[in-house]
Amino acid sequence: MLDVLHHLGLGFVSVFAPLNLLVLVIGLVLGLLVAVLPGLTLVMGVVLALPFTYGMEVTPAIILLTAMYVSGTYAGAWTSILFRVPGEPIDVPMLWDGYSMARKGKAAQALGWTLLAALVGGLAAATAMVLLAHPVASIALTFSTPEYFAIILFGLVSVVSLGGSSLANALISLFAGLLIATVGIDDTYGAERFTFGVRILSDGIDYLVVMVGAFGLGEVFTRLELGFRSVPIEKVDKVSTRLPSMKEVSATKLSFARGTLIGLLVGIVPGAGATVASFLSYGIEAQYGKRKDLMGTGIPEGIIAPQAAATASVGGAMIPLITMGIPGSGATAIILGAFLLHGLQPGPQVFQTSSHIVYALFASVFVSVIGMCLIGYFAARLLVRVLEFPEAIVSAYVVMCCILGAFAARNNITDVWLIVVFGVLGYLFERLRFPIAPLVLGVILGPLAENDFMTTMISFDNDWTVFFTRPISGSVMAVAILTLVYPVVRHLRRRRRRAAT
Amino acid sequence: MLVGAGAGYLYYVAARIQYQHRADTIGPDFWPKLILGLVIATCIYEVAKLRLIGGRRDVSGLLDEIVEESVQERGDAGPEAPAERRPLLLVAGIALTAAYVWTIQWLGFFLATAPYLAAFIALGGYRRWLVNAAISVLGALAMMFFFMKLVYVSLPLGQGPFAQVTFFLMRVMGIH
Repeated sequence: MLDVLHHLGLGFVSVFAPLNLLVLVIGLVLGLLVAVLPGLTLVMGVVLALPFTYGMEVTPAIILLTAMYVSGTYAGAWTSILFRVPGEPIDVPMLWDGYSMARKGKAAQALGWTLLAALVGGLAAATAMVLLAHPVASIALTFSTPEYFAIILFGLVSVVSLGGSSLANALISLFAGLLIATVGIDDTYGAERFTFGVRILSDGIDYLVVMVGAFGLGEVFTRLELGFRSVPIEKVDKVSTRLPSMKEVSATKLSFARGTLIGLLVGIVPGAGATVASFLSYGIEAQYGKRKDLMGTGIPEGIIAPQAAATASVGGAMIPLITMGIPGSGATAIILGAFLLHGLQPGPQVFQTSSHIVYALFASVFVSVIGMCLIGYFAARLLVRVLEFPEAIVSAYVVMCCILGAFAARNNITDVWLIVVFGVLGYLFERLRFPIAPLVLGVILGPLAENDFMTTMISFDNDWTVFFTRPISGSVMAVAILTLVYPVVRHLRRRRRRAAT
Repeated sequence: MLVGAGAGYLYYVAARIQYQHRADTIGPDFWPKLILGLVIATCIYEVAKLRLIGGRRDVSGLLDEIVEESVQERGDAGPEAPAERRPLLLVAGIALTAAYVWTIQWLGFFLATAPYLAAFIALGGYRRWLVNAAISVLGALAMMFFFMKLVYVSLPLGQGPFAQVTFFLMRVMGIH
């Protein structure tokens, strides 16, 4: 424990170094702006910031992206509360009580509850992240390739079963990602796979190109087709934040606890990010909260539950990312990409090889949560004004960042062509209702999955039953299968119930 | 059907991957073939489902269900997005972006980027021309300065006389 505190202290020293602190503040402001603008999502914002980290050392690069990730879960609530415009899907539950409270003339109080929920949820989850990461990494150190393969499979399967309007489409999206990851020269045999004689494909398709193209450019194309028409914004004269009293906080402490715990747990599950946490937490508060009957009428519990959970999910998502190299959400997939880009492979060994970077990341989560609340308290009024900024200009710069991001990675114009191709593919996926997250996670985790699978097969004489007979990998495989089957069972049960009524 | 046919073709390609075979070990074609087999199985399932039970609602992901149920219960998901689509605008945007990627190699970063930004902003419906021009030119210069001077990324210089413009701008910005 003392060792952890010592390293965390060093992490804080690293974060408070002038350059890192400056980068953190920039990350916080960018994250808040991205969350406020309805055309930009949190994941897209982190993707766009990635190329700007190429020239940085790994620590400030990770701090920048983490700060954006943390603050991106917060500011969208402002526009939900003030203008009934959710900046992110995460912030939809904020309409039900946050906006209702604002309509009663209590917008300042609603913003105060949001700030406090983000602060409590963020700090509590960050503490849990620090306490849990090391033990989880120690357990993960005992794992062999079958266990790793099972865990990666579970991560991929949970992304599929969570997202998308069709499970089959989500599966096809995942398989497409896994297949894209196989393009190029195979590591074990040196064989060319799906290169079709094109020289540049021998080096493989960079996950960054897929990520930036599908998430960034694809979204711009989707919005361009709709003519970049933003919704009209209501005029609000005064934006201020009023924090609740200790007595009010004490009366809602269970909502804080529930929201934080749900956010932390949902964050840990690979593939489930802040949006799931926010909706689930609101739903549980509406079902089990002390004032469940008043939910939706503008009560603090309806603000605390989704916001505490959304911010707490950040701490949770960092645990599988750091300890096993498995991203818990879309944004952590990008942060994983940044780690890999700087030659750092997250996993149980990371505490031995690069503990100073890991603890700087941990410290940056604490500082980011406090920093974003301070910025939110003093500058919310200024930041919500970016909603008035024309989307055509923002989008033009988004495209520019996407293109520069693709080019700067390898200084290769073919990557820029590929990004346009994946941009169009991202648009088509969006249009045909294929979720993009499984595609991107498939590209990132595909090589790891294949490597673990092949190594297992070579080590265990092609005996595939080993994945099911070893206790840990068998258990994880069972959970993965259940995770995949559960939506089908749920669907059939609902259909039967509907037919019966 | 289309996805299934594509997967079938790729399976055929995967079956012809050339490598030095080692006894008792699976080759580099195994993993892609496994994935493509799963794609084909998913497509067969979808086609069979459509044939047998028609276009009934798909099994959706849990997140979609949670969101849908909550929104149905509460009845508010924020303002509706505009429903009217403009495919021509989309095609123009994609064509413009492709043209930009094509010309950037000849014109260099600045000469290709400033007009591209201005054209994309205009395409997006922004009609204050002077502001547009200023934002595009200053934005392109700022990007060039940031990436070439601070991040040390070598952006396309252009060819012939266009390269001279880039070199001139680099001299002005102190980029070596």
